[in-house]
Formats: sequence, C-alpha cells, structure tokens
Amino acid sequence: MSAKQIPAIEFRHVYKRYRLYRSDKHRFLGIFSKRIAFKEVFANRDLTFKVERGESVAIMGKNGAGKSTMLKMITGVAFPSSGKIDVNGRVSALLELTAGFDPEFTGRENVHLRGQLWGLDKAEIAVLERQVVEFADIGVYMDQPMRTYSSGMKARVGFAIASSINPDILVVDEALSVGDKAFRQKCDRRIKEIMAEEKVTVIFVTHSSGSAEAICNRGIVLERGKLAFDGPIRAAIEFYEGPPDTPVVAG
Amino acid sequence: MAQARQAPLDLLLARVQRYGATFADIVREHAGYKTQILQLAVVDLLKTYRGSALGWLWAVIKPSVTISVYWFAFSVGLRAGKDVNGFPFFLWLLAGIVPWFYMQEMLTQGSTNFKRYNYLVTKIRFPLSTISTFVSLSKLYVHAALLMIVTVIFIMFGRPVDVYFLQLPLYTALMFLFFTMWSLFASLLSAMSKDFSNVVTSFVMAIFWISGIMWDVNRVNNPLLAKILLFNPVTFIANGYRNVFIYKRWFFQDPFALFAFAVVLAVMFGLSLYTFNRLRRDIADVL
Repeated sequence: MSAKQIPAIEFRHVYKRYRLYRSDKHRFLGIFSKRIAFKEVFANRDLTFKVERGESVAIMGKNGAGKSTMLKMITGVAFPSSGKIDVNGRVSALLELTAGFDPEFTGRENVHLRGQLWGLDKAEIAVLERQVVEFADIGVYMDQPMRTYSSGMKARVGFAIASSINPDILVVDEALSVGDKAFRQKCDRRIKEIMAEEKVTVIFVTHSSGSAEAICNRGIVLERGKLAFDGPIRAAIEFYEGPPDTPVVAG
Repeated sequence: MAQARQAPLDLLLARVQRYGATFADIVREHAGYKTQILQLAVVDLLKTYRGSALGWLWAVIKPSVTISVYWFAFSVGLRAGKDVNGFPFFLWLLAGIVPWFYMQEMLTQGSTNFKRYNYLVTKIRFPLSTISTFVSLSKLYVHAALLMIVTVIFIMFGRPVDVYFLQLPLYTALMFLFFTMWSLFASLLSAMSKDFSNVVTSFVMAIFWISGIMWDVNRVNNPLLAKILLFNPVTFIANGYRNVFIYKRWFFQDPFALFAFAVVLAVMFGLSLYTFNRLRRDIADVL
C-alpha cells in the first residue's frame, strides 16, 4: 500500500438539513422571504469519516437514522446543507432499482438512454445492451414500454444496468432484495464478482448482521443522524444490536 | 450566509462572485454534456410523440387544426380577416402563430421539466441546468419543421423567400434563448410548488390573447400602450416573425422594440440565475 492514498469517500462535518414548512404554499414563499416560519429537521448531523479505497463498510441504523440521505449524498443526487463531501471514483448505486427509468420507453431504450447519460459511445452502449439483455433475462418484454413492467421486471433491468459498469465505489442497499430466489442469488453472485475486483470500495446498507459480517470488515452505526459508532464490524454489530436479547437473524 | 453587518460593497462583491460562479457552473455543465444534450433533445421528441398511433403527425396536425379554427372564426365568423400589407389574412396569421406554438409548449410543458424528468434529478447524477436546454432544443426541432412548412406555403402563395429572411435565425435564436431561461426558472419554481405551474397553465390563454398574435400590435392607437406592449417578449417574437414574412422590415428599424426585449431578456437571465443559485441543491429533496 502506498503511504499517500486518496480516500474513496470523505465526509467532513456533514449536515443535511430539511426545512419543513406548514404547506407547499409556505415552502414556495420561503424561497423569497426569510420570514416564513419553518421547522428544521436534521437527517444527518456532523458526519465525519473516511473510507479508504478497497474497504467495505456496512452502514447500520434504524429507519430514519439517516442512511438513505447519506447514500444519496455519496451518489451525488443530494447535497449537504453544510460540511464537505469528497467522493473519488465512479459510483454505482444499487438503491431503488425500480426507479430511474422513463416509463414511456422500452427496456432496451432505457438502456440506451442510460448509456447516453453516462456519456458512453455507440460501441460501449452496444456492449451494455448485450449485457443487460442477458442478465435481466425478461425476453420479449425488453421491447415493451417500461410502464407495463412488473416491479420484479423493473428491478431485473435496474440491477442489470447498475451492475454492468465496473464501479470504483459500489453502494448497495439491502432493501433491493427483490425478485425470485434464483434472481436474488444471481444478484448476490454479481455483487461478489464486482467486490472481488481489486480496490472496489463497498458501502453496504443493511439491517441484517449476518450479511453485514459476511461482506464487510468495518461497520458504521447511525443514530438519529449522528455517527454513533465506527469500528470493526463485529463491534459495530454488537453496538447496533445491543445486548443479545433479540436473536432474530435474517438470512 | 452573508452577515448583515458587512460593508455593503463587500456584500455586493460577494454576491456578484457567487452568481458569477453559478453562471460558470451552468456554462461548464453545458460544455461537459454537449453530446448528451443533443441526444436527449431527440429522446424528448420521442417521449412527446410516443404512445400515439399517428406519432409524429401530431406535431403538424395540432397546429393545423388551431390555425384553421382561428382562420375560420376570424375570416368567416367575425369578418375581421382583412389583408395586411398586401398579404392575405391567412398568411399574416400563419407568420405570427408559428412561433407561438413553440412558446406555448415552453410555457406549459417547458415549465415542468424537473417533474417530467424527475429521474434525472433524484436517481441519477445529472447536471440540472441542461435539462431545460435539451427540452427547449427538442421543441425547437418541431418549430424548425413547422417553419419550413410555412415557408413552403408562402412560396405556394407566390411570396418567395427574400432578403428579410436573413434575420429569421436571429429571431429564432432570441426566442430560444429567452424561453430556455424561462424554462429553467419556471421548472425550478414549479418543482417547489404546484401553485406555480397552475398559475402558468391558467395564464397561457391570456398571454396568447394579449400578445398580439391574433391582432396587430402596430395598430394600437395609444402610443404609450403601444410602447408598453413591446415589453412582452411573446409580442416581440411574433412581431419579429411578421417582420420577416409580412411587414418586410429589419429588426434595427424599431430600436425601441429591441431595447424592450433586451431589458426583458436581462431580467429573465437574472431571475433564472437567482432561482437556480437558490434552489439547485433543494430540488432533489422536494421532488
């Protein structure tokens, strides 16, 4: 390992504040006037941590602890209210797989669209298309508008697209466990394949200590937006689950 | 946030710097996503005309129906359709209403871009400022097609293309510029509040009727009112197209109209920059 390494992800005193107004009207007026009353809610508070390249980190926390907000900021679709975030490398996010498509377009067209958004050239898009068609395996539906898809089919295409680029940083939300068992296993295999690549950084969001321990070597626990624990995975799980009185371990 | 106690000059300077940086961001986003903008303009075209059996034809059918109805109502019904500058009323109507179709699309659909493309905002990392640009470009393609049809109709009526057509790209470019900025401004606001998009849609017809598309602004008797009307960009553009097709006048022959439009353009630029600077980081949170 080189001594001077750029961390894959670095959070410095990151706050994410949402302003809650009484109604949409108040929110609209709030754009122009500072006198409109609102409540402030902090989804993330003073998050400071570094993730080195090649690390795999489990993010644990109850619903509303600020996990999703944090992931959104890592992927770059949401922005911190204050503080600084540095993300170095191509991020692939397996978050809401069924979202992010244009429902009017067919699966194939959506693959092309995504390729264009990423700035791929024609040849690269052709490769992407072949990979997605093969992995998603939804047959003739590939050429139907995506509004006619079931959520399972959308998730298949979504996973196929998101996992087809070779990312530097892979963000996985465990909530993506959709589809039938066979497809889930296929997804697991693909994630492991990506992770096997050297120097891939993995951020894995989970409630299940079993899969966290299997995949990650470091754990971060969020509590009401704050960093409550950051350390080795075993200790993090113990911290998160507390004294072992609820041994409900999901598979 | 700027401190209230700072010297006013420092405050102003900081503000200029901030907006300058925002503008630089917009330019950078456009430069970095040139290819994507062009591709997405085509995607937007497909999206608009997808899902109907007649598809592309609707881009021509809809305006044709509108023009026929107005022509019928005015010429046959109201008997108001007199010749203008030696041109039949139908041609006069055509010249002014063609840019309106583009402007109407930008006023309505163009003001809801972030909602229509919310997956580009909330799911994928994509430069927000370019969304309005590619939507506007997509509408401009349709406009160019209609403009060609109109030119052919003029030729068929024995009114050939002349030297005044040279200024057509200028008016088209000004229209594109203004309404692209409008679209960015309005899409930001309508993402924040449904009220805003409702206000816009309910005023579209009003804008149509006050903007001198169906009547000649040059014939307004009150000189003050005539000047005020020129501050309406829709009027300026519709009049500009008629300068080309009907009146055979150069754009510099009416400096006041140019001045009024420049003022409105500058205000629009300021407004869109202000709202973009203010809201770009919040849009993903509210959609």
